[in-house]
Amino acid sequence: MTDRSQPNIDALLAQRIRSGDREALGELYDRYASVALATALRVVTDREQAEDLVHDTFVAVWQKIDRFDPMRGSLRSWLLTIVRNRSIDRIRAQRPTVGVDDADEQSLLRTAANPTWEAVIARRSTAELQIAIDGLPAEQREAIELAYFGGRTYREIATLTGVPLGTANGRLRLAPAKLREALRMTDAAPAASAEPMSARRPDR
Amino acid sequence: MNNELDCQAVDELDAAFALGAVEPDEARAVAAHLASCQQPHAQLRSMLGAGELLSLGLDPVQPNAAVRDRLMATIERTPQEHRVGLGEREAAGRRNGWLDWLSPRVARRLALAAVVAVLAVAGWNLSLQSQLAERDRALREVAEAISGGEAAFRVDGSAGRGYLVETPGSGAALVIANLASLPADQLYELWLIDAAGAVAVGTFTPSSGAIAVVPVERDLAGYTTFAVTVEADRVDAPTGTPVMVGDLTAS
Repeated sequence: MTDRSQPNIDALLAQRIRSGDREALGELYDRYASVALATALRVVTDREQAEDLVHDTFVAVWQKIDRFDPMRGSLRSWLLTIVRNRSIDRIRAQRPTVGVDDADEQSLLRTAANPTWEAVIARRSTAELQIAIDGLPAEQREAIELAYFGGRTYREIATLTGVPLGTANGRLRLAPAKLREALRMTDAAPAASAEPMSARRPDR
Repeated sequence: MNNELDCQAVDELDAAFALGAVEPDEARAVAAHLASCQQPHAQLRSMLGAGELLSLGLDPVQPNAAVRDRLMATIERTPQEHRVGLGEREAAGRRNGWLDWLSPRVARRLALAAVVAVLAVAGWNLSLQSQLAERDRALREVAEAISGGEAAFRVDGSAGRGYLVETPGSGAALVIANLASLPADQLYELWLIDAAGAVAVGTFTPSSGAIAVVPVERDLAGYTTFAVTVEADRVDAPTGTPVMVGDLTAS
C-alpha cells in the first residue's frame, strides 16, 4: 500500500522538485507510480499506453511544478488527477462520438481536493477503500466508475445505462454519500465548507 | 445551454461537477454561479476529491523498471517552466515606445494580446490604424510568443468580446474589443475561478480607446474560468452576474 500517512513528505518533495532536484522527482515516482499506473491502466486498459501516460504525467509534474498549489490539494491528488485526465483524453480521442476535451491538468477535478477525503484516505488501507467501493449498490458504483474511469458525462451515463437523466445524476450523487457513510466520514472536517464558495481565498 | 444556473440547478449537478461528468458548458455555468453566489454549496464542496478515492482503491500496479529510467532521462533534458521564465526575464532588456513602461515580458504579452484581439475579434480597428509600425512590431512579438507556447482563451459576454492571453508562469493579459462603457461610479473587476471559488485579480475602468488591454498578474494554472463583473468598488467576492466569461480549460 502507498504510504498515505506522511503528507509533509510530499510537501517537501514538491519544494525540492521546484528547486530542480531530479532525485526528488524520482522519489515521488517511487511513491506514486504504482497507483498512477493502476489508474491509467483502468482507463486505457493497454499496459504500454498506460506506462506512457504515467511517464508523461511525471514529466508534466516536473515541468509544471510551479503551478502546484498546496493550498488547493495534495501533490498526490494533483498527480493522480493529471494521470486520470490524460488517460480520459486518450480514450476520448479514440471515441469518435465524443468530442475531445482538453482535460489534462486544467480540468475541474484538479482543483480543490476536499480535506475530508484526504484525511480519511490517509487513514485507510487500499483494502478498506476497496471494501467501501465494493459496498456501493451496483448501479451507483457503475455510475461513478463510468464518470471517473470512463470519462462519461451524466448524460452519457444515462444513455449507456438506459435510465432517465435524473436517475443517472441521482446515482452519481448517492455514490459519494454512501462512500462517506461507509468510511464514517463526518462533515466536521472540511471547516472551509462553511465559508461561502465565492469568498476570496488567500493569494497564492 | 443557458450560462446562468440557479442554486438548485448547481446543487443538482454537484456530484457530476465534482467527478468531471458534466459537459464543458455546464462546468462553466456551475463555476460562474459559484463565483457570484453567496451560498456555501457545501454539498458540492464535500464531494470534491471523491474520485481520488477510486484511484486509491485500485490494486497498485508496479511499472516496468524501464519507465523510471526513461523518465529520469527525459527530465534530464526537460526544462521546468518556471526556470525557463526566469531565464527569459533575466535575459530580456527594456524596450522603447508605447510599451516602454511595462516589463519586457508583460509588454510581449500585451502586444500579442492586442494583435490577437484585432485580428480575431473585431476586425481592423480605426483607432489602431495610425499605429502600423507598432502593429508590425507586435506581429513580430506574436511570432516569438507563439513559439514560446502562449495560449489565448476566448472571453465573451454582454460587456464585450476578446481574449485572455497567457504566458505560462507570468500571468496573462486581457484584451477586449468595444468594451461597454460604465457609469462613473462603477468599475470592472476580474476574477479567476475554480471549484473553490473566485479570486480577485484586479479592477479596471473603460478607457476611450476601442480596445482595452489589462494585465492580469496571476498564473492561470489550475483555474477553470475567467470572469469579469461590474462592481461599485473593488470587492473580495463578486456581487453580481459576470458580464464576461472565458473557459480556461478550452486552450
